[in-house]
Formats: sequence, structure tokens, C-alpha cells
Amino acid sequence: MPELDCPNCGLRPIEEFTFGGERPSVPDRITDPLERDVDYAWMHDNVNGATSERWFHAAGCRRWLTVRRNTSLTGMTPVE
Amino acid sequence: MNEFVETILALEWHKPKPAYDVVIIGGGGHGLATAYYLATRHGITNVAVLEANYIGSGNSGRNTTIIRANYGIPESIRFYQHSLELYGTLEDETGCWIMHSTKGLLWLAHTESAMRAERARCLLNQACGAETVMVTPEEARSICPQLDLSGGGRYPVLGASYHVGAATARHDRVVWAYAQGAMRKGVDVLQHTPVTGLLRDGERVVGVETPNGPISAGLVLSAVGGNVSTVAAMADVRLPIRTHPLQAFVTNAYALGFGPIISDTELFCYVSQTARGQMLMGAEFDPQPSYSLGSSYNFLQSCSAKVTHLLPFLRDLRILRQWTGICDISTDFSPIMGETGVPGFLVTTGWGTWGFKAIPAGGEQMAELIATGRTPAMLEPFRLDRFARELPMADQGSTGTR
Amino acid sequence: MLALETIPGVRAAADAAAIDGMVVAEGAVVLRFAPDEVFIMFPKPGRELNEGFAQAIIARETGFVGCWLTLEELAARVVAHIDWALPVERPALAQGLVAGVPAKLWLESGRALLLCAAPYAHELTERLR
Ligand SMILES: Cc1cc2nc3c(=O)[nH]c(=O)nc-3n(C[C@H](O)[C@H](O)[C@H](O)COP(=O)(O)OP(=O)(O)OC[C@H]3O[C@@H](n4cnc5c(N)ncnc54)[C@H](O)[C@@H]3O)c2cc1C
Ligand SMILES: [Zn+2]
Repeated sequence: MPELDCPNCGLRPIEEFTFGGERPSVPDRITDPLERDVDYAWMHDNVNGATSERWFHAAGCRRWLTVRRNTSLTGMTPVE
Repeated sequence: MNEFVETILALEWHKPKPAYDVVIIGGGGHGLATAYYLATRHGITNVAVLEANYIGSGNSGRNTTIIRANYGIPESIRFYQHSLELYGTLEDETGCWIMHSTKGLLWLAHTESAMRAERARCLLNQACGAETVMVTPEEARSICPQLDLSGGGRYPVLGASYHVGAATARHDRVVWAYAQGAMRKGVDVLQHTPVTGLLRDGERVVGVETPNGPISAGLVLSAVGGNVSTVAAMADVRLPIRTHPLQAFVTNAYALGFGPIISDTELFCYVSQTARGQMLMGAEFDPQPSYSLGSSYNFLQSCSAKVTHLLPFLRDLRILRQWTGICDISTDFSPIMGETGVPGFLVTTGWGTWGFKAIPAGGEQMAELIATGRTPAMLEPFRLDRFARELPMADQGSTGTR
Repeated sequence: MLALETIPGVRAAADAAAIDGMVVAEGAVVLRFAPDEVFIMFPKPGRELNEGFAQAIIARETGFVGCWLTLEELAARVVAHIDWALPVERPALAQGLVAGVPAKLWLESGRALLLCAAPYAHELTERLR
């Protein structure tokens, strides 16, 4: 099970956290405002590689963290 | 060597041709079933299925093989019920023994609110043609004598819904049955052939790139399971999909028979017995999106801790193996099938943790779409453009434990 | 069975610098839940935070239950149910899943306080039985 190093609480199993989604990034090539809204609301990059996500430490300090990690590996590194 | 392997060895494997009418990316159940129905129902045989690894190496060879139709919205119930019925006749149709076995599924409730949810499930299932009935705790125990109705004193069974038609089938045999049926009709199945890019002519997708060179195609279908976002990105198609790992494990053989499939929303786990007698268990998908096939001890621990409350005999068994698949989880927990807005490029995805049961219907309906150019009525609700039209098909009933 | 009882206190949210500069009455126990949040248990009830602490949200908090444990009790009843490393310094606050339930531990050199939100009290005692 991957672990996340919470800056407030220390290294914890991922079960203690709630996933809040990756930071939304609507591609520039989508220019129509309505299409941009649809993309923002529904679509995900879902990259196999480096990503930046929000996680909530629900069982600990109850603070939101930004986590950078590589989705092709199990490790996770919080940055905020 | 068993009878099954002998029949496979008799098949002829092909070198890629430079062009096909239809190229299907991904040799899982959905890709191969689509090829099979294209060939058998529509006479379209100039088709290649390109598989990066070996066929069935994705989730179609990793799942817990549960086939059921007791879903939460009418469109899904009808679709999965149709698939469940196709599974029932697949052995006759293909001549392959897929070890299909109808077992029934008990969905247990430990609280009044869970009882309400199960009652609602029964009413909706019955209205849409899937047979699901409420049973009392005693009836549940007569279906599954191993059940501790007190739930170890912690999770008393107040009742259950019983989905009569639920079944299991041997997963890799399903994959091979479709592969064999398709190949006999002239479909090329190319293993160890990853698609690394898409050929474009303007906006249109006109073929694929592989390490062995380009292959042109009248139409390209992506059926790549958890890797769908990577392939769709090659066509600039955006999807409401996240890839999450799902884990499962089996124990050593339990000598006595264990008839039904047991599922539990409050404990987030489900149990059945394999043909070899092993007890097979699964839970919810991991919370972190990931392409890693790593398995975890925490999963074994939390799943075992819960499930032994209900089935105390499991305490005496040993865990033999655990494994993981990476699942294409859609935002609304429903599949996404059909056109993408990019000409020449179709998807069948959003199969998440629930797509094994859907292989026959998914393949049949996708084949009809490809052959006729029209979206069949059964697929209409599951088009990708439902999100832009604000018509998501929200159905958490699709995951194994809800 | 652990007997978890309401542990009354005061909860304050303010910016981290203000909490760093906070002065509390003699004998109060200060649990720093996060850089910008503290829970304070006073030896006698009251709202005894100093003046310089005005830019804060301060509220009486009765939503936590807990019990004090000896170090032996802690080792025997609780530690086996924790999947993460306890801090080594004392005193220290540790927060995380205990037997799968969100809980907090205040570790002093001779004793420890096990704390959780009141709605989880039953589940936690059952699991630590
Ligand atoms: C542990 C587990 C338990 C499950 N239990 C159940 C269950 O009980 N019931 C149920 O209905 N469903 C279950 N599922 C879900 C089910 O297994 C899947 O939804 C289903 O198998 C998906 O089939 P597929 O053909 O879409 O994808 P897959 O079987 O994953 O096939 C995709 C194929 O595409 C290939 N591929 C990927 N990228 C490329 C590329 N670039 N080029 C060429 N090929 C590529 C892969 O190698 C793979 O073989 C479970 C899943 C898991 C992981
Ligand atoms: Zn934390």
C-alpha cells in the first residue's frame, strides 16, 4: 500500500487520506467556452507518469495537501 | 495438456497485413468479443486485434469472474441482463467450455438503510427483467449455510437481496473462446504488438503505428482497459476516466461446497468459490489513481478482517495468491461505448471493475455499431457525448460492493 | 473495555504565527492538530487564552472523547492496532488510524491520552476490546 508523508503528521498509509482529484487542466486546443466547461467538469488527464493531485488527510490533521507523484510507481511525495 | 490447450495450438497465428477494414487495439474480452461478433454476425472478417502483451493479460485475465445484472439504473440492468443471457448460451454457440456456472448472489444488509437499498434494488431489477428477490436471514442461511447471521456480533444480517441468475465463468477461457471463434472466421489476432501511435489524415484516424510498422485501418477501436487515456490522447480525445488498481486474492481449497456469491456494501467485500475450491475475495478499488500492478498487505488485512465476521470458516484458510489489475473507472461508473467525435476512432471503455460480465453484450453491440454505422438502442445511453449533454448514467451499483 | 469519556476543551483556529505566540494558563495541555489549529485542555474549565490571540476563532469543544492510559495499557491495548510509527520525542501528538478508526494520541513521558471524535467512540472501543 502506498504511503503519503503528511507534513503535519508524518508517513501514513494512503487509507488515511481522501483523494481530491488532480488539478484540472483543460487543454489549450479546446477553445469553445462550452466545450471548455464540459472538459473542466468531467474529463481527466489520467496520465501514466508525473501528476499533481489534492489529497485530504481525513484521519489525521484534516488538511488538504498537494501531492506530486508518478502514477506508474507506487510512491507519493507531498509538496505543500 | 488439457483438451482446451490442444484446440488452441491448432490455431494459425498470422503476420500483420498492411491494412484492415477494422483494427481493434487490445486483446482483452471486449476487443476479442467485438472481433468475434463482427465476423460471426456481420461477416466482417478483414479485422485485426492488436494486443501489446498476450491475449487476456489485462483485466480480462485478472478478474473475479462475477456475472450479474442487479444494477441500479434501468439502462444498465437491461444491458447487463442481456449480457448475462448471452453468457448462458456462449458454450453452445462457440463450442468452448467456459466453465459457466449459475450460482445466485446474496447481497447482505446489516442496517435498515441497507435493507431499504436492497428492497429498491429488487423492485427495479424485477421491473427491468432481472430476477432479484428479498430473502430473510434464515433463507439466506439456507442458501449459504456457512453464513454467521450475527455477523460475529458486529454485523448482524437483517436480510438480503438474492439475484437468482448471477453466475461465474472461467475468465481466460472466455477470452480464448472469443479469440478462437474470431480467428476461425479469418480475424488476425496479433500478440506482442503494442500500438504506439495513431495514423491521422487531417482529423480522421486512418490506422495505427506499431514497432513492426504502420497498419492502416478503415476504423480503429480502442479496447485497452486501464490504458485507455493514453491511447485516446493519441487521437486528442478526452475521457472522464481515471485508472485505479483493483485487487483480489484466493485462499487454498475449501473442501466443502460454497454455493452462492456473497456481496456486502457495508463491509465493502465480496466472496465466491472457484471451480478448484479456492475462496476468491475482492473489495473496492484502491483510492489512488495508478498504473502500478503492485498489491498491498493492507488490502489483505482489511478485507480478511471484515469478511471473517460473516464467514468464520475463512479464518482457517490460508491466502495463496493476490494480484492487481488497473481499471478504467468512469466518472459515473457506467461504460462508455461508441463514437468519440474523431472520425474513424471508437472506444469501448469505462469497464472499470465491472466489465467482465459485459463482454458478450459489449462485443455484440459494438460490432453492430461498427457494421451498421448506427448506435444500437442499447448503447445509446452509454455514448461519450452524454457528459456534454449533462446526462451521466450514475450507477455505483456497477462496482462489486455497492 | 476502554471507557471513553468526553474530554472538554477549547478549539482555536488562527494563523500559524499567532498560535506559535499563544500563551495559555499554567497546567493546560495544548494539542497542535495542524499549524493553524489547536485543542487545549485546561486544568479547570474556562476560556483562558491571552489577549494577543484575538484574531482567531475560539470555541468550546465537547466533541472529543478519550481516556488516559498508562504506558503498559498503551502498549498492551493500542500499539498493535497502529500501522504507522509513533513519534519518539515526548510530549508529542500523533494522529491517524488506530484500529482503522481516526484517532489521536497525546504521548507524555509517563502516560498517554487516547482521543477520538465522539461518533467514533463505540467503534473504537469495540475494535480495541
Ligand atoms: C481484480 C479484478 C476483479 C474484477 N472482478 C470483476 C468481476 O467479478 N466481474 C466483472 O464483471 N468485472 C470484473 N472486473 C473488471 C473486468 O475484469 C474488466 O472490466 C474487463 O476485463 C475489461 O475488459 P477489456 O477487454 O476492456 O480490458 P482488458 O482485459 O484489460 O484488455 C485490454 C488489453 O489491451 C491491451 N493493451 C493496452 N494498451 C495497449 C496498446 N497500446 N496496444 C495494444 N494493446 C494494448 C492490454 O495488454 C490488455 O490485454 C475485475 C477487474 C479486476 C482487476
Ligand atoms: Zn496530516
